Amino acid sequence: MGTEHDPSQRVAIGISFGNSYSSIGYTTSDGKAEVIANEDGDRQIPSILSYVEGEELHGGQAKVQLVRNAKNTVAYFRDFLGQEFKSIDPTPAHQSAHPLQHESTIAFKIRDTEEEKESEVTVSDITSRHLRRLRTSASNYLGKEVNAAVITVPTNFTDAQKDALNKAAKEAGIEVLQFINEPVAAVLAYDARPDAQLADKILVVADLGGTRSDVAIIASRGGIYTILASVHDYDVTGAKLDQVLVDYFAKEFMKKHKSAGDPREDVRGMAKLKLECEAVKKALSIGTSANFSVESLVGGIDYTATINRTRYDLLGNKLFAAFSRLVLHAVEKAQLDPLDVSEIILAGGNAHTPKVASTIGAAFPETTTLLAPSTSPTAINPSELSVRGAAIQASLIQEFDLEDIEQSTHPMVTVTPHLAHAVGVLCISGEESTGIFHAIIDAETPLPVRRTAIISTPREGGDVLIKLAEGLRHIKVTKPAPKPKAEKAEDDDEDSDEDYSEEEEELREKTWKVGKVLSEAAIRGVKKGGKVEVQISVGADLGVNAIYREVGGKGGVRGIIQGPKASQNGSA
Amino acid sequence: PVLPQGWAAEKDFKPIGHLGQANDRNIEPVGHHFLAHARRKRHKRTFSEDDRI
Repeated sequence: MGTEHDPSQRVAIGISFGNSYSSIGYTTSDGKAEVIANEDGDRQIPSILSYVEGEELHGGQAKVQLVRNAKNTVAYFRDFLGQEFKSIDPTPAHQSAHPLQHESTIAFKIRDTEEEKESEVTVSDITSRHLRRLRTSASNYLGKEVNAAVITVPTNFTDAQKDALNKAAKEAGIEVLQFINEPVAAVLAYDARPDAQLADKILVVADLGGTRSDVAIIASRGGIYTILASVHDYDVTGAKLDQVLVDYFAKEFMKKHKSAGDPREDVRGMAKLKLECEAVKKALSIGTSANFSVESLVGGIDYTATINRTRYDLLGNKLFAAFSRLVLHAVEKAQLDPLDVSEIILAGGNAHTPKVASTIGAAFPETTTLLAPSTSPTAINPSELSVRGAAIQASLIQEFDLEDIEQSTHPMVTVTPHLAHAVGVLCISGEESTGIFHAIIDAETPLPVRRTAIISTPREGGDVLIKLAEGLRHIKVTKPAPKPKAEKAEDDDEDSDEDYSEEEEELREKTWKVGKVLSEAAIRGVKKGGKVEVQISVGADLGVNAIYREVGGKGGVRGIIQGPKASQNGSA
Repeated sequence: PVLPQGWAAEKDFKPIGHLGQANDRNIEPVGHHFLAHARRKRHKRTFSEDDRI
């Protein structure tokens, strides 16, 4: 209708556009997401553009120019898009072309033509050029002109930033079908695998990037995702991990070559150090030792050295702990406990570092699955998660009219009531009043929802009472039995006294407290050891529709519980 | 639990309370299951109506 492209003529890809790296992906005809490598063979394409005598270099080729041609090289510009100059942090761009104020936007002064003259290129033009190169790479690979995309953005990207990105993409010949949030794209990449099983679970997505780290807590309920909390950090990042190595090698270099200066104080020396240290970091994610080698680091001296992973793990110790604190902070912000988390998805380049994964994993109970390459054989490459998610989403909506997509993503559709407490039944108990709470629908499940569960009945069978109730999750902390203290009472030594009590860890477990009872129902004459199927539907008005039936039996009991709103609204 | 003696209700079902207020949150417009949700919501269909199509 009113759209530029006829949906049937669309060739849509997924784009993950990052400050450090970007990726492109598509979905094959049999529904598998694939990441596209560019002409250089890179799947992780550096988000960098560089100009040499009017020629535009992109990706890995542009990254090398950070050493010799830093002034005409633009890097780390994604977060500048759609921003005012005073609100940006230009630190990441110190080693490349500096951002400048340009009217209401941001520009870079670079020599991008053959003429001996610098021109001001706005960040949106830079973005367009970058996206155009990505589009060309994808078009060449697919053999079809790519004209649409789903692009991933951080959860705190403002509408102004999205508008600016949308415009820049249009300039590059890309119709943006939808912007999707990076952490959700990562979850989608996992859930879209053919062997994936949909379950109701709380997920943590920790995206550990180069210039920023983003953690999101997501409730996944029947394949529908809700972000409960998110945390963004610009200090605990991959660049800081690189810096740990930069400092280490710079000091080693100075020890060996006392007369030469500090390579960190030399612009080119620093640029070479940074590039090489990032490569060393990547090598240490795969192997247990790595070589560092830079020609003419400073003062014309070549420098080579090796480092093993143990040493690196030691050097980065503080930062690894900071990563894990960041993740725990996000869980806290969602008012949850690590025990509530069933899966952690590590995304972003630094998720490859084994010690980052193991430190974060150690902060969670053993029941939590950690999806990172070093801890799980089924983990997807963390660098490819968001682009895979974008590619899958692109294939799902590529045939839709833009108008349809806009209407579907409108808050009218997306703002949905979520259950405040879990709803379930009391089961396995001989008593009439008590029972063990068995959650059927978890808290934070969007409404309307329908769930079915099979519960066991008291062993002897007979008539069964089914109580439907709200359940409140409770963390039960069991203090260790103060055994050693009793013996210590006679002892006067204070120091040894404290040692004992501190060593024993508290035992924490998740339990349910039964909240408000919603209804009672009777199922008569259940067979010995019989099971009862419970189906509960909760409407958007909080009305509950329950059906109970013995497995294999006929009939069953059904009942309706009115929602609370109806009566309240009626009186108002 | 076992049914207590003398328990009775119309059609064996007795509503007692109702659910507490829900929290309004934004669901992520992503994935196959969301699209199904959006379809239901826009056409005001219920689960079983949607299953039939």
